[in-house]
Amino acid sequence: MADLLMFHGRECPHCKTMMPLVEKLEQETGIRFDKREVWHDEKNADLMRSYRAALTPTCGSQLRVPTFFNPETRDAVCGEVEYEKLKEWALKQ
Amino acid sequence: MKKRTWRCFVCNDIHYGVAPPELCPTCKVLNAYVEISADEAQKVLGGGPGITMTPDEFRAAIERLTAGNEFEVNPDREKVDMLIQGIFANEANHGLKYCPCRLCTKDWEEDLKIVCPCNFTIHETYKGVKDGECWCGLFVRRK
Repeated sequence: MADLLMFHGRECPHCKTMMPLVEKLEQETGIRFDKREVWHDEKNADLMRSYRAALTPTCGSQLRVPTFFNPETRDAVCGEVEYEKLKEWALKQ
Repeated sequence: MKKRTWRCFVCNDIHYGVAPPELCPTCKVLNAYVEISADEAQKVLGGGPGITMTPDEFRAAIERLTAGNEFEVNPDREKVDMLIQGIFANEANHGLKYCPCRLCTKDWEEDLKIVCPCNFTIHETYKGVKDGECWCGLFVRRK
């Protein structure tokens, strides 16, 4: 399985909340997230934009952070979510 | 309907919209607006006071916006500080006060929807939600 993607913003409080949960999940399961900051890195922003069609249906028709995304299955989860929900999503990928 | 820019020929108020106000809200003159280019509107606005806004002025502006509304600025000062820092970083780096918790698409009309404050009252995180808030959490439903 390819790394899952986490799109996040440096000044996004939800992203700040999720980051330690993601790190905990990585340690617990061995699943890795490729973390891409999108407001201060234009390449990462362009990467997120390239997945716009796959992301927006589950993200309120917008590009929102944090977003967790599997580029293979094109499955996404957006926003601040509980640890168990994120874990369930990640294990399903 | 495409929005255009208008200037009051009496007091130089600038209006951006599909049609100008019949009554100028500043000088109270009727039928005073003439259509101008966006470039001219920017030049009119560019020389006046308030061309830049500090984070503290922005904070005061959104506090005034919430007065009398069913929402308020989030009482979590630390969260608000972080968001305002991001909003101003986005204005400096990307041109407008874009929401730090979303991303520009590079479609101008679409991206105007994520300029802070955005119309969060129609979003699923706020509309009909008891403890609703805007996507980033800058605004929360008043308790």
